[in-house]
Amino acid sequence: MNIPNELKYTKDHEWISLPDAKIGVTAYAVEQLGDIVHIELPEVGKELKQGASFGTIESTKTVSDLYMPVSGKVTAVNQAVLKSPESLQSDPYKNGWLIQVASAADAHDLMSAKDYEAFVTEH
Amino acid sequence: MSDTNTTSRKTPLYDEHKAAGAKVIEFGGWLMPVSYTSVLAEHKSVREKCGIFDVSHMGEVRVKGPGAENFMQHITMNDAAKLKPGQGQYSALLNEAGGMIDDLIVYRLGQDEYFICVNAANRSKDFDWISKQAESFNVTTTNESDQWAQLAVQGPNSLLAMRAVVDPSHRHALEELPYTNVMRAKVSGRDCMVARTGYTGEHGYEIYLPADHAVTLWKSLLATAPQTGIAPVGLGARDTLRLEACYLLYGNDMNDQTTPLEAGVAWAVKLNKPGFIGKDSLVKQKAGGQKQKIVAFKMREDGIPRHGMTIYWRGEPAGFVTSGSVLPTVGGAGGMAMVSSSVQENDELEVDVRGKRKLATVVKRPLYSAKTK
Repeated sequence: MNIPNELKYTKDHEWISLPDAKIGVTAYAVEQLGDIVHIELPEVGKELKQGASFGTIESTKTVSDLYMPVSGKVTAVNQAVLKSPESLQSDPYKNGWLIQVASAADAHDLMSAKDYEAFVTEH
Repeated sequence: MSDTNTTSRKTPLYDEHKAAGAKVIEFGGWLMPVSYTSVLAEHKSVREKCGIFDVSHMGEVRVKGPGAENFMQHITMNDAAKLKPGQGQYSALLNEAGGMIDDLIVYRLGQDEYFICVNAANRSKDFDWISKQAESFNVTTTNESDQWAQLAVQGPNSLLAMRAVVDPSHRHALEELPYTNVMRAKVSGRDCMVARTGYTGEHGYEIYLPADHAVTLWKSLLATAPQTGIAPVGLGARDTLRLEACYLLYGNDMNDQTTPLEAGVAWAVKLNKPGFIGKDSLVKQKAGGQKQKIVAFKMREDGIPRHGMTIYWRGEPAGFVTSGSVLPTVGGAGGMAMVSSSVQENDELEVDVRGKRKLATVVKRPLYSAKTK
């Protein structure tokens, strides 16, 4: 399973990078979703609390909410992934990032790669 | 993804699906493959080459006896008397109010013999209804659902794939088989029934075969892949394919509260034939009481319509999405909706996609039509 060591993870299968605070979804989540056909993300400047929905990912069959791993203001949105959602499928950790927030300061209480792997194996 | 649900049934091909790496879901009481590789890739393989579907969960009912024709005329909405042996038709069982108990394919096998293909989730309901109505007719009704497996072979290369598995003595008849007709044929060495029908909008076949022959035939058909490009297709692509072709899905697009006039299949209702269950209600509805109807629509803005979403027309709620999805071959997204009868083709609609109203346009059905079917 592809779970990069340098990222932090949530139980809802989002990841956040340190210290640049880019947010995306994991390869495991992408695999579960199947063909991703549509993504909705917030506008730059929006303030969101940890655990709040920041958008949706839609596959051929289902819609899934995306949840903020940390609280913060959205500073960038990946326009490329909005235009071609399939890029998320092939590269969820690099080109498939979704949004960037101002700070990853409160990411320390999230799961490590090792913990996330254990979590996914259990579920 | 509850593939451990012990109350759900498995088709004879369940192990083949698991071995092929399928994602399995519960559907209508059955554990069925939703996709093997990806919904979009499987969709494409049917439109461009060939796909094979396990549809063994569908039910089969045989009606036999001197009263068979009168009985079928009484319980179904289409004209079953018009069928010659070997011909089939789209039809439905209606209740007294004209609501659809189920939609079906009815085949006439002989002067006094019919074979009905029913939806998986409605197998028991339909058979109970049919048996109850049969009491006053000179017919026997048999639920043969457990004896039959069913495979659908669909796509431009479907004839090529079928030719490879059908006994040479039946090849000519297979090639000449008209749309919706059925024939008996030896397929991979066993007696089967082959119908030129389908649920994808492509040229294709549905094979009714003994349940214990399913694995053999499944493998024989997949072995034609180098010539035909045949690939297994799950329920995910089955849904996007049928939606582009605007075929109804029972339970989504209509149910026993929906009349066939509302569901847009008036072409299969024969009000000029002798009385049948539901006829009086349909005659009344046709005379002026039809308030809603199914339309096809395409999205003009981002967002994917889904079952149950509210439709707005001229600013007011006017119905709901019955089926919606991305439309892989047509492009964009769209679907079918049950809306006020006042809504017309080319009208602008708005679909409430999770709180945001997105523009759509009513278009002619079907959304997709193959050059040859």
